[in-house]
Amino acid sequence: MIANILTNRIVNDIAGGTAQGVIIGLVALCLVLVWRATRVLNFAQGPMAMFVTYIGMTQMDHHANFWVAAAISVAVGFIFSALTEIVIVKPLYHKAEINPIVVMVGMFTLLEAVASAVWTNIPRYPTAPFSSINFQSEGNPTGLSPLSTFQIGAALAIMTLVAILFNYTSLGLKLRASALAPEVSKLLGIRVGRLLTLGWGIAGAVGAVAGVVISLNPGGLAPNMLDAMFILGFIAAAIGGLDSPLGALVSGIVIGVVMQLINDYWNSNYADMVAVVLLVVVLMLRPQGIFTKNSTRRV
Amino acid sequence: MSGTFKRLAWVLGGLVAAIAVASIQSGTDAANLTKAGAYCIALVGLSFLTGWSGQISIGNSGFMLVGGYSAAFWTLHHPGEPVAISMIVAIAVSAFVGLIIGMPATRLRGPYLAGMTLAFAVALPYVPQSFAVSTLGGSQGLTITPLSAPQWFFNLFDTNNTLPVVINSRFTAMVSVVIAALVLWLMSNLFTSKTGRAMRLVRDNDVAAELVGLHLGRTRAQAFVLTAALSGLAGALLVMVSGTASPSTYEFGFTFSIALLTLMVLGGIGSLSGAIIAALLGVYSLQITTWITDHTGLGPDSWVSAKLPNLAPNMENILFGILLIVTMIFAPRGIVGLATGLRQKLISVTRR
Amino acid sequence: MSSTPVATTSSTLLELDAISVRFGGLAALTDVSFSVNPGEIVGLIGPNGAGKTTAFNVACGFVEPTEGSVRLPKSGLTNPQPSQLARAGVARTLQGVGLFENCTVLENVMAGAQSRPGGRFWTSLLGLPHGQKELKAEALSVLDRLGVADYAAQMPTAIPYGIAKRVAVARALIARPSLLLLDEPASGLDEAELDAFAELIRGLRSEMGVLLVEHNMDFVMPLVDRLVVLSFGKVIATGTPSEVRQNPAVIEAYLGVDE
Ligand SMILES: Nc1ncnc2c1ncn2[C@@H]1O[C@H](COP(=O)(O)OP(=O)(O)OP(=O)(O)O)[C@@H](O)[C@H]1O
Ligand SMILES: [Mg+2]
Repeated sequence: MIANILTNRIVNDIAGGTAQGVIIGLVALCLVLVWRATRVLNFAQGPMAMFVTYIGMTQMDHHANFWVAAAISVAVGFIFSALTEIVIVKPLYHKAEINPIVVMVGMFTLLEAVASAVWTNIPRYPTAPFSSINFQSEGNPTGLSPLSTFQIGAALAIMTLVAILFNYTSLGLKLRASALAPEVSKLLGIRVGRLLTLGWGIAGAVGAVAGVVISLNPGGLAPNMLDAMFILGFIAAAIGGLDSPLGALVSGIVIGVVMQLINDYWNSNYADMVAVVLLVVVLMLRPQGIFTKNSTRRV
Repeated sequence: MSGTFKRLAWVLGGLVAAIAVASIQSGTDAANLTKAGAYCIALVGLSFLTGWSGQISIGNSGFMLVGGYSAAFWTLHHPGEPVAISMIVAIAVSAFVGLIIGMPATRLRGPYLAGMTLAFAVALPYVPQSFAVSTLGGSQGLTITPLSAPQWFFNLFDTNNTLPVVINSRFTAMVSVVIAALVLWLMSNLFTSKTGRAMRLVRDNDVAAELVGLHLGRTRAQAFVLTAALSGLAGALLVMVSGTASPSTYEFGFTFSIALLTLMVLGGIGSLSGAIIAALLGVYSLQITTWITDHTGLGPDSWVSAKLPNLAPNMENILFGILLIVTMIFAPRGIVGLATGLRQKLISVTRR
Repeated sequence: MSSTPVATTSSTLLELDAISVRFGGLAALTDVSFSVNPGEIVGLIGPNGAGKTTAFNVACGFVEPTEGSVRLPKSGLTNPQPSQLARAGVARTLQGVGLFENCTVLENVMAGAQSRPGGRFWTSLLGLPHGQKELKAEALSVLDRLGVADYAAQMPTAIPYGIAKRVAVARALIARPSLLLLDEPASGLDEAELDAFAELIRGLRSEMGVLLVEHNMDFVMPLVDRLVVLSFGKVIATGTPSEVRQNPAVIEAYLGVDE
């Protein structure tokens, strides 16, 4: 009975889809963190994560083990993202809405080109400390492997950490205050500028975790490895409402599962299309996303 | 300038440009100019959307794909009909798709819109590739007879027995430049007109714009339809010249949307002359990059290239990425803005 | 002047009928009714946060009333959308400056005539004449009427506040409205400017009805025909300035809450 459920095709799809969906949710979470802190949609999120993942994971060529390499990625991810905020994003906060978008698009082009110049376009396959062969139940494969279990676990762990940081620590309170009411926070003596930088840093670290986890997928590590994931992450974040971390996770999982089902029962080429159609439909019905409240216009 | 005089100036300018282009000797330059004309049209469309109506799109390559495929599809099924009809069909179909994409777009704020259009551009090439293999040719795409020079053109411009291929490129370059000039003229009309003003009002102050009677959604959607129509025309032009529309056409992929955005910003957002400069920049970017690397010691023989053999093919994007960031931070009005600033400074210096 | 409040005749320009607006738990307006007739200058006053701007926003369709309805009897509209107002003969100036910052002063005034027929997309695209030259001349004459024609070529960010406020009025007037809504038009004007401005509004009476929100009592009292006093979202008094001045509820509202 249980064995039947564990190896059932739909159940497997849901399990596998959830694994990918949690990763989509993780990418979406990075976008949400940056958006909440600074009202910038980071179009270079994918390449930034890719870049620092390369920096860390290529250390495995120099005899670092997987965990050390991953830790380097995350640390560099934090520093790199914080520096990006200081150097190229800060000058644009009070400019037109499109300026930071354009700058981050420039960053996108730059980082992918530099990565391709340094590491070439040939994918690398970091050796994961986990097997990618699915667990078996009475001789039939289930939907999860040790590797995908690790991927889900890592993503959920980092999300929990972020949730605890923002909701249960005084630093988190300050972070939220500087993002939501910068003027008031300044009056209260909070150093808003630094906290916004910290917000970007945290998003960069989370992005690096996503990068490391995704580099263990069959596609491996390549300069454009996060392009598709970024689009899906954006779709998840936008459906969730860009302001809601929980919304990002839930929509990420929904998208992951839906895409897995389409892959399995229909045609893998249609999966991206369906995600975009889903986005257009949701935005037509609720332009502010599903998980955020409608805001009234100031007249 | 009075209306008739202005119109005359445009016609003369276009004519001179056309003749100049048609007598270009190098086939490569002619082919490049053909492309530049199409790029210019696409850039004007994007520049209008961003500069005048204040919306952003990273999905215009998608509209180019729609236009290109529509033109190819129509030509395949109606052989022998005038090229102009294919172009008009392309404009109509892409305008319609622009309306569909523009409808949610009109209710979205900048970043949502940018992301949504990007997602559209990323996903769109899958449509001909997998949804409509039988009608749109799958990953092979559609192939049509490319545009070729008519006899009168040969008679007029074949002075010293040039290769027919070169004559053909000169003809397509002329066609492309003339269409681009026409588009520039129409858009310059629009800018000073009531419709053009409506776009700017909505961008500047949406509350006040509603109070003077403008429907925000309708005005924004109109801008979107127009940008889609122009992108579609550009796509159609490229396809009519090359003879193929395929999912892997460079101009139909989302990276070209990013390239368009980059070029538009470098040229100068919302500026027509900026669009011309940007189009040339886009077409000659490889030559410019090579020139820069050769003159800065980063060329293929340098020590950097010895260490990073893959640097050379990526140099173009590295340069453009840096340029885009630097421009946006230090000169957000692009080359045209810099030139205007410089001219004003010169004037004020000479007056002193 | 008639002292009967809320007299609704068939020619009424604007009619708020039992309007209530709630923002979450906050009752911004409760059961508010009043109307504006042609040739009448009506003042809407009340302490800070009384709901005056909200009443304007409801009248213009920016805020949807929780209960009640807004009517523009002359054009037959009920609960109009903001973009329908101009065509229905209603013009409004905004609290603050509210000009189009990237358009010249002249273009700002021309924008006020945006809802006039003519100048469709194709005419615009082909560069055919669509009355822009005539409109430019008209805009200049309206600017002249307000005494700010010298600023026509300037950008709104480069002109003094008092001038900008008059440009905003010019933008409203070029639409030749039958009802003019002014939200704190006198803020930031000096004594001399105030007098001139009051004179101008008085002069409009023959062409339109005016509803104005204003804190400056020295400006409002001698100017208006009728007052509607709001406090905590409720109409506590209506009538001529002299009637309202003696109303104990009004005195209490102002003494108790404001100043
Ligand atoms: N969009 C909104 N959402 C929530 N509350 C609002 C909104 N608009 C106004 N309010 C509240 O409704 C009340 C009435 O506000 P309103 O702006 O109408 O007052 P006012 O009379 O114009 O005040 P002032 O003289 O200060 O301009 C205030 O308490 C205000 O905070
Ligand atoms: Mg107010």
